[in-house]
Amino acid sequence: MAEPKNSVKTQAGASLQEIGMRKRLNAWAANHQLVAVETLMRLLSNPLGSLLTWMVIAIALTLPGALWMALDNMEQLSGRFQASGRITLYLTPKATEQQGQQLSDRIAALDSVANTEFIDADTALDDFRDNSGLQAALDFLPENPLPAVILVEPPLGIEQAALLRLIEQLKSYQLVDSVQLDMAWVERLQAMLALAERLIGVLGVLLALAILLVVGNTIRLAIAARVDEIRVVKLVGGTNAYVRRPFLYTGLWYGMVGGLLAWLLLILCWALLNGPVADLAELYGSGFELKPLSAGAAMALLLAAMLLGWLGAWWSVSRHLDHIEP
Amino acid sequence: MTMVQFDRVGKRYPGGKEALSGISFELARGEFAFLTGHSGAGKSTLLKLMMLMERPSRGQVFVDGQNLGRLRAGQIPYLRRKVGVVFQNHQLLFDRSVFDNVALPLQIAGYTPAEAGRRVRAALDSVGLLGMEKRNPIELSGGEQQRVGIARAVVNKPALLLADEPTGNLDPELSAEIMNLFLRFQQVGVTVLIASHDIALIEHMGHRRLILDHGHLHEGQIAGAGGIYG
Ligand SMILES: Nc1ncnc2c1ncn2[C@@H]1O[C@H](COP(=O)(O)OP(=O)(O)OP(=O)(O)O)[C@@H](O)[C@H]1O
Ligand SMILES: [Mg+2]
Repeated sequence: MAEPKNSVKTQAGASLQEIGMRKRLNAWAANHQLVAVETLMRLLSNPLGSLLTWMVIAIALTLPGALWMALDNMEQLSGRFQASGRITLYLTPKATEQQGQQLSDRIAALDSVANTEFIDADTALDDFRDNSGLQAALDFLPENPLPAVILVEPPLGIEQAALLRLIEQLKSYQLVDSVQLDMAWVERLQAMLALAERLIGVLGVLLALAILLVVGNTIRLAIAARVDEIRVVKLVGGTNAYVRRPFLYTGLWYGMVGGLLAWLLLILCWALLNGPVADLAELYGSGFELKPLSAGAAMALLLAAMLLGWLGAWWSVSRHLDHIEP
Repeated sequence: MTMVQFDRVGKRYPGGKEALSGISFELARGEFAFLTGHSGAGKSTLLKLMMLMERPSRGQVFVDGQNLGRLRAGQIPYLRRKVGVVFQNHQLLFDRSVFDNVALPLQIAGYTPAEAGRRVRAALDSVGLLGMEKRNPIELSGGEQQRVGIARAVVNKPALLLADEPTGNLDPELSAEIMNLFLRFQQVGVTVLIASHDIALIEHMGHRRLILDHGHLHEGQIAGAGGIYG
């Protein structure tokens, strides 16, 4: 009992603890580290208990993630479509039907052309009459005002430069009066992609809210299970920040594990779809391949998941924790 | 050198009657005093006011020169670090060892593990439980649990030690032992206030007595100067 007497003696009047600022800071950092490791261990040591929360987070992240991956690929594809719009060749009035057909066949044989279709002037007029409703007016015309037309379809995914070269080449034919690249449908596609992007954004926000609620609720339960401990900690001088810390870290880890699971699910989606998509693309003569989520996007996904987990915990903690008093 | 000062303090619980009224007294630094009174007299309430577990309805409470009514919420934890408390229901955590229970206030205050370890062992030694640091408090007897609670209350070397019925449920021998423990802390300068029913033990020990009766303090006026002994 020699040491205890000593230790009791030193208690005389010692109301203020003289711990240096630096020591305090180190202790604070050490506590963060300790709490971070402890909370992670606690979660991992009971994976079944946390599995539901992890899966909800993972699925809520995978859904917009997969859509975003699809959209990203569509945009990449539409970039190629842009260069593969249909080309319409208007032939000079001098061109005979036979000459036009020959030219059409010759163009079809070019490497940079997938397909052609020749429409002679009379057929063009018939089509126009049927579709325009201007039949009466057309009947008044002394002669057919429409030129013969060759529709040229470049292969899917042709390079922009190759397409420009093709257009130059087509213009150089003597029978060709003018060349028109039809881009309207590409523009329509892009408008739809923009809309899809907006929808994914809205979906993402809703699912982010779902994650906040799920993590918030999980943390609420964790708080309820540790009310006694919180009371004691506050009784012996624990600050709100100290009491909050383990719960905030827990939220962070929920987000991280959920984010990692979502990432795995997205890789799985990609692996399942990549084969069929490549096969399909090959049928269309395109070397298109499904791109997986980029490393940057995967990182962003993970960080967003951690942030959401932390926010969910913070929301729950600020609603429930500060009211627990000894 | 006053450690505690009550100035015309009243406490009315919401919807209840007056638990305390017109309480004025002082505790000098290093003083040892008992707080007695019938059940429901307001003893626990008075102790809780010093920890800001309750706030007074009227009057002012000063601890270590600080007006508790002026403390912001963020400062309350730092007040509590200066005040050690022992409750009858020991408020120990059964999901961790005796050592970790006692270390909690130090961990909160930011001690390094090495420093905390030294102090925890010293505190456990002072209550005679050095061999039990690795045990879970649930395996200990009532008296041993009570002593773990005391070790936790003094481990951070508080200037003020409050105990609410620390010997309730203990046999007379153990009660006397625990009271002696509190005396030892007083001998090294800690101000000690013990709420207790145990009239026999209190009479035996002597020291100043504050007596509460239906929320009124009887010796308050006289006690202001130096207290009543015997
Ligand atoms: N939280 C509360 N809400 C309402 N009334 C309360 C509350 N706590 C105590 N009281 C009332 O205040 C009065 C004083 O209670 P207190 O607990 O301080 O008495 P005590 O002297 O500690 O009694 P005991 O010796 O039985 O522990 C009692 O009438 C009690 O009913
Ligand atoms: Mg009481």
